[in-house]
Amino acid sequence: MDTSTWVVIGIVVAVGLWLMMTYNRLVAGRNQAKNAWSQIDVQLKRRHDLIPNLVEVVKDAMGYEQETLKLVVEARNAAVKATGPAEIGRAEAALTAATTQLFALMENYPQLKANDNVMQLQEELTATENKISFSRQFYNDSIMGLNNMVQSFPANLIAGMFGFTEMPHLDIPESERAVPKVNLR
Amino acid sequence: MSVPSSVPAPSGLTGTDFLAAQRANRRRTRWLLTILTLIAAGLGALIGAVLTFEGGTAEDAFQALIGPAAIGGALVFALASTIWSGITLAFGDRMLSGIAGAKEVTREEEPQLHNIVEEMALAAGLPKPRVLVIETEVPNAFATGMRTSRSAIGVTRGLLKTLNRSELQGVIGHEMGHIGNLDTRYMTAVGVTVGLIAMVSEIALRSMQWGGMGRNRSSNSDSKKGGGQAILVILLIVLAILAPIAAKLVQFAVSRQREYLADATSVQFTRNPEGLIGALEKLTQAAKPFPGVSGATQHLFIVNPLRQFSSRAWALFATHPALEDRIARLRDLR
Repeated sequence: MDTSTWVVIGIVVAVGLWLMMTYNRLVAGRNQAKNAWSQIDVQLKRRHDLIPNLVEVVKDAMGYEQETLKLVVEARNAAVKATGPAEIGRAEAALTAATTQLFALMENYPQLKANDNVMQLQEELTATENKISFSRQFYNDSIMGLNNMVQSFPANLIAGMFGFTEMPHLDIPESERAVPKVNLR
Repeated sequence: MSVPSSVPAPSGLTGTDFLAAQRANRRRTRWLLTILTLIAAGLGALIGAVLTFEGGTAEDAFQALIGPAAIGGALVFALASTIWSGITLAFGDRMLSGIAGAKEVTREEEPQLHNIVEEMALAAGLPKPRVLVIETEVPNAFATGMRTSRSAIGVTRGLLKTLNRSELQGVIGHEMGHIGNLDTRYMTAVGVTVGLIAMVSEIALRSMQWGGMGRNRSSNSDSKKGGGQAILVILLIVLAILAPIAAKLVQFAVSRQREYLADATSVQFTRNPEGLIGALEKLTQAAKPFPGVSGATQHLFIVNPLRQFSSRAWALFATHPALEDRIARLRDLR
């Protein structure tokens, strides 16, 4: 075989290797993103399980705050029913706002501070909310790496060929995170 | 409570500084180990040359430095350094957490500590480390683990009592940063090689004493040929004295950079520099030696438990940067 044949063989092997490595990096990236997403899911479910327990233990002491407690339960039920990243994001943001308000009101009831059960549930809820936001942070970082590859040349050729698509960022806008304001029109 | 059971391969992604830092850390570990191994090999070569030198001129001495005995000596010490590092990297983490006298605590015993460790593990995208507590009133914390899938974070009882939740989160984030950046692995490999160089230098100085004295007698009988011997001996004295100091300085410099990196990584996780700043201020005020801490483990802790290095005079020999420098860099992150 002459030199040009060898050159062609060399190029084919190099392209094949690059194809393989790019494909594997895309798979690793997609798996990392999926794993991060499933973590968020786990923590959201845990929060949905914890909230009724907390409402149960504080409702007697917080007799005058029935309205807030009702809001928390409604926000929780709406979040359980939500589907799709956009709707879930909005419902969970509303739930976070509701529980934040509840925590703030609980400060006014010193007898709750003395209740180990309440303190324990509050710690679990705080931790779960932190875990949600840290998982989201990691998910978004993961997504950025994957989306960079899906968009940039020449990895996008491989991505298109094997059906790798961009994954959505999970952002909860600051305005939705705040306590909803009453509109007096 | 569900935590990630396996760490996703970070190889596919380059999106975060954190993962890039991991790769840089691994690369620097290899470089540093190579340099330190070369120092050890150089010592070995000199010892080999001195031990077999039959006397002669300066030129003969330089010939001996590249002779078979010198190359043999270099190979022996390079091999010893590599094997010792390998063994320590494979088994080192058990030894270290044993030294500090830390006990594993369950989720039921310390729910908040477990929660915060889980939060930081999620932020780092790493498996949850084991959670340890040291029963002492001095507030401090450490991390150990040769790989991210088998790591541990330890805090003292005093730390749990002194810090509030967000400060504790900053400290755990710092320790999780050490784990993610593979700092334990890095510092252990460096420490082993530095120890080996110190030992080799000690052996060199001793072997020169009796080896040199033996040669002295023969050179007395034929004093014209003593020049080469003197050159080798002086070279060896200089190298045996300087090499351990140089290696130690490299080790300290590396340790300080790792602390800065772990501080920054903590803020990257928590997005809250105030927590770590508050924690560092409280920790430094109360830093004291406690049982179980030795020179071998001091670099593992978030603030140096043995010595206070707030003044610049000792900066080169410090395992940790001065507190005001760490806080200044954290404030820059805001």
